[in-house]
Amino acid sequence: MRPVTARRAVRGLAAVLGAAALVVSAAACGAGGASGGKSATRIVIGTTADVVNYNPLVGNSRTDSWVTNLMYPKLMSMDMEGKRVPHLATSWEYAEGGTKARVKIRDDMKWTDGKPVSADDVVFTIDAVAKEKIGVVAGLISSYGSAKALSPTEVEFTLTKPDGTFLDNVGFWMAVVPAHVFGKAPSVAKFANDSDWVSAGPYKLTKVERGQRYVLDRVTPYPLAPDNTPNLEQVVFRVFGDVNTEVLALRNGEIDLVANALPPTLAKSVQNDNKLKTVEIPSLGWAHMQYNVQRAPLDKLEVRQALAAAVDYEAIRKSALQGAAVSSDSSVLTPTLKQWHDPSAQEYRHDVAKAKELLAKAGHADGLTLSMIYDQADPNIAKWAQLVRDGAKEAGIEIKLEGLERNTYVAKGSNRDFDIYAGSWAIMDNPPANLGLAFKCGGFINYANVCDPELDKLISQAQEQTDPQAAKDPIQRAARIISEQVYDNVLYVEKFTFAHGAKWTGFEQRPSELLSIVNPESLAKAKAN
Amino acid sequence: MSTAAVGFAARRVLRGLLTMWFAVTVTFFLLRLLPGDPALAIADPGMTEELRANLIASYGLDRPILVQYWEYLVHLVQGDLGVSFRQNQPVTTVLLERLPWTLLLALSAVVVTVAVGIPLGVLAATRARSWVDRVVQVGGVTAQSMFVPSIGVLLLYVFGVTLGWLPIGGAIDEDVTGLAAVGSVVAHLVLPCLSLVLIQLGSYVLTLRTTLIETLGEDYVSLARAKGVTARKVVWKHALRNALLPTTTLMGLQFSLLVGGAVLTETIYAYPGVGRAIFEAVGRLDFPVLQGAFLVLAFTVIIANLLTDIAYGLLDPRVRTS
Repeated sequence: MRPVTARRAVRGLAAVLGAAALVVSAAACGAGGASGGKSATRIVIGTTADVVNYNPLVGNSRTDSWVTNLMYPKLMSMDMEGKRVPHLATSWEYAEGGTKARVKIRDDMKWTDGKPVSADDVVFTIDAVAKEKIGVVAGLISSYGSAKALSPTEVEFTLTKPDGTFLDNVGFWMAVVPAHVFGKAPSVAKFANDSDWVSAGPYKLTKVERGQRYVLDRVTPYPLAPDNTPNLEQVVFRVFGDVNTEVLALRNGEIDLVANALPPTLAKSVQNDNKLKTVEIPSLGWAHMQYNVQRAPLDKLEVRQALAAAVDYEAIRKSALQGAAVSSDSSVLTPTLKQWHDPSAQEYRHDVAKAKELLAKAGHADGLTLSMIYDQADPNIAKWAQLVRDGAKEAGIEIKLEGLERNTYVAKGSNRDFDIYAGSWAIMDNPPANLGLAFKCGGFINYANVCDPELDKLISQAQEQTDPQAAKDPIQRAARIISEQVYDNVLYVEKFTFAHGAKWTGFEQRPSELLSIVNPESLAKAKAN
Repeated sequence: MSTAAVGFAARRVLRGLLTMWFAVTVTFFLLRLLPGDPALAIADPGMTEELRANLIASYGLDRPILVQYWEYLVHLVQGDLGVSFRQNQPVTTVLLERLPWTLLLALSAVVVTVAVGIPLGVLAATRARSWVDRVVQVGGVTAQSMFVPSIGVLLLYVFGVTLGWLPIGGAIDEDVTGLAAVGSVVAHLVLPCLSLVLIQLGSYVLTLRTTLIETLGEDYVSLARAKGVTARKVVWKHALRNALLPTTTLMGLQFSLLVGGAVLTETIYAYPGVGRAIFEAVGRLDFPVLQGAFLVLAFTVIIANLLTDIAYGLLDPRVRTS
C-alpha cells in the first residue's frame, strides 16, 4: 500500500510545486517588465512613510516635506553652510531699525492653474499662519505684526519689535500657498488639500496610491530649472516600511534613490556596491545630552563638568557612529554653520581622573546615581548611550539607561521629567532663534531648564540684530557660556549618508536630511547618464 | 431551515457579537494604557495652549475615558470608526484601502499551506520513520522556528537582488491593467505569501502527519484494507478525512496568527495592507486607526472560525447531526 500512496502524494506535491514554479516564472517576467526606476526620464525615490498631510503649512513628517517641497515654493532656500539663498524671493532687507522687513519675489513663477505666484499669496499665507497659529512657523514668528503687498512682487512685513531672525525663519520655513485655493477653506489649518492640487514647484502631484507610491509630474515652465524645464518628466516616491527592504530595492534597481539617511552600518555596506553612489551631507543639528540643571545634584556645575569629562567623544564617533560624525567642539555653533562657528571652541577633554576630582569637589566622592532617558527607536543613541554609561561608571557615576517608547520620551522631555536627556536636534539652522527656544528662561525646547540672565541677555541682543555680522559676537558669547556651564553637552554632528544609483548625476546638495539631494532644485536638475 | 439550525446560527452570531464587543473593549482600554500621550502625536509642539486644547477637544481626548468609550461604541454601531489622528481621514477609508491586500495575502497563504501541507503530511505519514519522513519532520520543526523578518530579508536578497526574479516591495506596479496587472499582483504576492506559508507550514504538516499515522492504525482502516479497498483510497478517502479534523481546527487558529503575522510581513515587504497600517499607527499612537484595524482583524478571525466550524461539519457528519 505505501508505495502507491506515496507516489500519489509525490505527484500531488510535484503538481503544486510545478504550479508554483510557473507562477514564479510568470511573476519574474512581470517583475522584469514593470519595475520602477528603469526609465531615465523618471526617478523613483524610496521613503519609509506615507504622506500624512498634503497641506505644507501643517505637514511636518519628512515624507510630507519631501513631497510638498516639490510643490510649494518657499521664499528662500539654504546653501551648504546654512546661509539663506534666493528661491521665490530675489532679495530681502530690514528697514526702520528692524521693525520692517521687505521681500521682493520673482515675477515669473506661476501656480499650476496658470495664475501668477504673487505678493498677495505671501501675505495670505503668513496671515493664516499667524492667525491660526499653524505649525512650527507660528512659533518662529512671534514678532510678526502684519503684512501688505506693496506691489505684485513686493511684500512688507511690520514687526512688533526688532527681530533679526524673522526673515530667515519665514524665508526658509514657510511654504507659500495659493490664496485663491486655500482661501476658500473655512480654516487653512484644517484644509486637507488632498486632491486637485494647485502648486508652483518643479513637479505637481498627480497620483496617490497610499501605502505604495506618490507620482509627481513635471511642470513647465519652472523658472528655477535649467531652460525653465526640469530634467525629469516624473518623480515617484515609493513607500517602504523598512529601510533594509528599501536598500535592497535600490540594489536591484527598483528604486533610484533613498531619500532617508542610511543608518551607519547599512551605509557601509552600500558604499561597497559599485552600482551605487553615496553622498555625505552634514546635519544642521547635533546629538547631545542635556542635564536637568534644576534638579540636584545636576544643579552643581562640577557634577555637569564631571559628566562631560567622563565621555569619550572620539569613541562615540568612531564606534557608535562608525565615523559618520564630526566633533562639534562641544559648541552649539557647530562647524556646519560656518558663518556662526566659533573657531576658539574646544571639545571637552575625556579625562576620567578629572571627572573624579570634580565629583569629589561637588561632595560626591563616593559616586552618585543618575538616570538617562532616550528614544529606544533611535539606533545611534541606543549605541552611544551605553558608551556614556560605561565611561561614567569609570568615573564613579552610575547612569541607569531608560530607553523609552518615542511618545513617552517626548512627554518626559517636555515635562522636564529626567536627570539626563539624550537626544538630537534635527535642524538648528538659525542660532539666534534656536538658542532662544532652547536656552532662554522658559524656552519652548529648553529641556535642561536653563535660566541664566546673562545668557538670556546675549541671546536677546543677537535676536535684535538685523545684520548677521552684528549678531555673531553676542551669539558666540552665549555659546561659550552654554559650553562652560555645560548647559548642553553637544557630542557630535552627524554626517548623513544618502545613496543613489550610479547612473544618476546633477544632484544639488543641501544640508540636513530634510533637504539633502531631494530638494526641489536638486530634483529639477538631476539626470541619468 | 430547521429550528435547530436557526438556533445554532443565532447562537453563533450572538457569540460572534460578544467576541467583537470584548475585542473592541479590550483594545480600547489597552491602547489607553500604552505609555505616551496621543495628544503629543496630534498637536504640534509649536502650537499655542489654546489651539492645542481645541485640537485635542475636537478628537474628544479631553473627555473622561468612560465617556470616550461610550461615544466610541455609539459611533461604532452606526458604522463610524472615527477619524485618524494623523491622516485626518475617516478610519473606514484608511482601512478599506488596505483590507483587500491583507485578505489576498492571508487567504493565499492559507490556500498554499493546505495545498502543499496535505501532500507533505500524507507523504511523511505513509512513509513513517523513513528518510523522507525524517526530512519532513526536520523541515517542519525548522520552519516553525523561523522569524518573519529574517526570512523576509533572505528571500528578498535571493529572489529580488541576486536572481532578480521578483520585485522587492509593494503590491502592484504602476499603470498596469488586464493580465499585466494580474501578473504584477502575483509577482508582488509571491514572497510575502511564501514567508507566511513557511512559518505555518511546519505545524500544519507535523500535526497532519501525527494524526494520519494514528488514523491509519484505526480498526475501520484495517477493515477497509481487509475488504480490498485500494491503498490510495484507504489513505485519501478514509483515513485523511478524519485526520484532517485537527488540522482544520489548527488552520482556523493559525488564521489569526497569519493575520497577526501580516504586521511584520507587510512591513518587510512594503505590502500596503492592514498590518502595515497597524505598524505605522502604533508609532504614532493613532488610536482610531488601531481600534479600527483590530476590530477588522477580530471580525476576520471570527469569520475564519465560523468557516472552520462549517468545514468541520462537512468533514465530520457527527458534527452536523449534533
